[in-house]
Amino acid sequence: MSLQATSRSIKPLRTSRLSLANRQALTGYLLVVPALVLLLGLVAYPFFFAIFISFTDRVVGRAGTWVGFDNFRYLFNQPSFMKTVSNTIIMVVVSDIAKLFIGLGLALLLNQAVPGRGLMRAVVMLPWAMPGFIAFLVWKLLFIPIGGGLNLILTDTGIYTGVIDWLGQKSTALPAVIIATVWRGFPFWAISFLAALQGVPQDLYEAAKCDGATAFQRFRHVTLPSIRPVILVVVLMSSIWTANSFENIWIMTQGGPSDATMVFPVLAYFGMQTQRLGEAAAVSVAMIPALLILVFLVTWLIKEDE
Amino acid sequence: MEGIDARPVVAGLAKPTRMQALLTTRVRKIGTLVLIYGLMALVAAIVIFPIYWMFTISLKLPKEIYRLPSLVPDNPTWRNYQELIEKKDYLTNIRNSLIVASSVTVVSLLISSFAAYSIVRFRYRFRGFIGRLILLTYLTPGSLLFIPLSIIVAKLHLGNSLFGLVIIYLTFSIPLSTWLLSGYFRSVPADLEEQAMVDGTSQIGALFRILLPLSLPGLAAVGIFTFTAAWNELLFALIFITSESKRTVPLGLQYLITGDVLLWGPIMAGATLAALPVMILYFIAQRFMVQGVTAGSVKG
Repeated sequence: MSLQATSRSIKPLRTSRLSLANRQALTGYLLVVPALVLLLGLVAYPFFFAIFISFTDRVVGRAGTWVGFDNFRYLFNQPSFMKTVSNTIIMVVVSDIAKLFIGLGLALLLNQAVPGRGLMRAVVMLPWAMPGFIAFLVWKLLFIPIGGGLNLILTDTGIYTGVIDWLGQKSTALPAVIIATVWRGFPFWAISFLAALQGVPQDLYEAAKCDGATAFQRFRHVTLPSIRPVILVVVLMSSIWTANSFENIWIMTQGGPSDATMVFPVLAYFGMQTQRLGEAAAVSVAMIPALLILVFLVTWLIKEDE
Repeated sequence: MEGIDARPVVAGLAKPTRMQALLTTRVRKIGTLVLIYGLMALVAAIVIFPIYWMFTISLKLPKEIYRLPSLVPDNPTWRNYQELIEKKDYLTNIRNSLIVASSVTVVSLLISSFAAYSIVRFRYRFRGFIGRLILLTYLTPGSLLFIPLSIIVAKLHLGNSLFGLVIIYLTFSIPLSTWLLSGYFRSVPADLEEQAMVDGTSQIGALFRILLPLSLPGLAAVGIFTFTAAWNELLFALIFITSESKRTVPLGLQYLITGDVLLWGPIMAGATLAALPVMILYFIAQRFMVQGVTAGSVKG
């Protein structure tokens, strides 16, 4: 599209040399084309293709026919789909709140001018530096009833001496998965908030101090408003990723026991394995409306920021 | 805590001397320090314990893991590592992951540098639109795309090949890399390139000789992000790779946990081997990575 537009505008100039502005534009297009082709072909096109598939009864090897909203009607009558919706909402909301408090607290802590904070910052980054699937493998191990580290600690410290099958029973599976997800995710929040804190002008604090503001008032009226844009962007982006994360659930529980931790990507993956692609695609597509709202907010905030 | 306890003593006195006031502030300072270091120790313990546990279990045999669980291994052994490499062909997984991750990193850095250079330094129609499109593709989760992509990849005959994985991973890494690199490029003044171009360098030459060398910290951070993201990817490898000889590290480990009996020793040995290089990279490049986060939020 864009390339055609340029070549059309260049045509009349063909007899003479290309004008500098046009040559510049042409180079600009040529430089961005490889990225654009890949992203249009393998992100934008599949995105709309997914929506199309979700309205057909496509199976592996047969394109299928248009069935309207049948797949969605079918899904909304499935208990496992409704469980997926509620699990996703709980996971996103609870882990966002936990990461917000931990991240903010930690950022304030690491912003204190005390010896050793450089080392501490490096330590805090470790869960984030760890490959995600490994972090969740390790937590799967920590959660096993016998030989897992968590029950061992609880027993050794005398907090709880019974044996808890963290990932194996319905009541603890979702909280356990959330704990692991928060452990892996909080460093990103803490580091983002810390970077934002360091960008707050010091004289604002001095001025607030002169006016007799207490530490809490300074936090409430100086710190929070200054870093609010960063908080919002981090919350929104993290929500998108949490709602769509596959590996944490796949590695720890595969959605079990009996759908207690089922989420969209895992349900769609299982759907794909049954070869009924229409229904499987409908699972992913069903979350697009919620996702669009989040994406719209993020892009809007980033634009405001710039 | 000490600081709070000390206060009423001073308040009770009619006129605290300078000495006493000095003492109180010092006591309060120490109290704050105790609180800060206490919290830091707690956080450090929560962060480090799972990592420690991963390494400990990798040194234990099944008997020690289940029958006599303990925080410190009694008879540490490298047997799990041996078994993983000799019987599970883990080195093949590592080789495949290295090929995929380094190819993705090199190609992605090149394509993204071009795209970022174009968006930051050139003027043309649709430039703003293209920039926003790239941001949007970054925010499109892979979990939305894997079903249509499985059909497209099959049609392109890219299934079950490392090359196919590289192409798919590029679509995730390019949006983020382009976005981060645009930020770095914007912070480099354009005068230097213009000067070089006046001296006869082409626009592409200015990119390679001036802009990229000046953005080395940014390139390093973006390169590490890209490498680790490709090194860690599970979902698409799971869908596209079907033959054992082409499994990447995440895939090799995930097949170890789908059996009936989980061999935690070898699994954790594999986890340690896979995590170590990446974590060392992050540790060395820590400062760049933090800058990377500030430049634009990075998936976490």
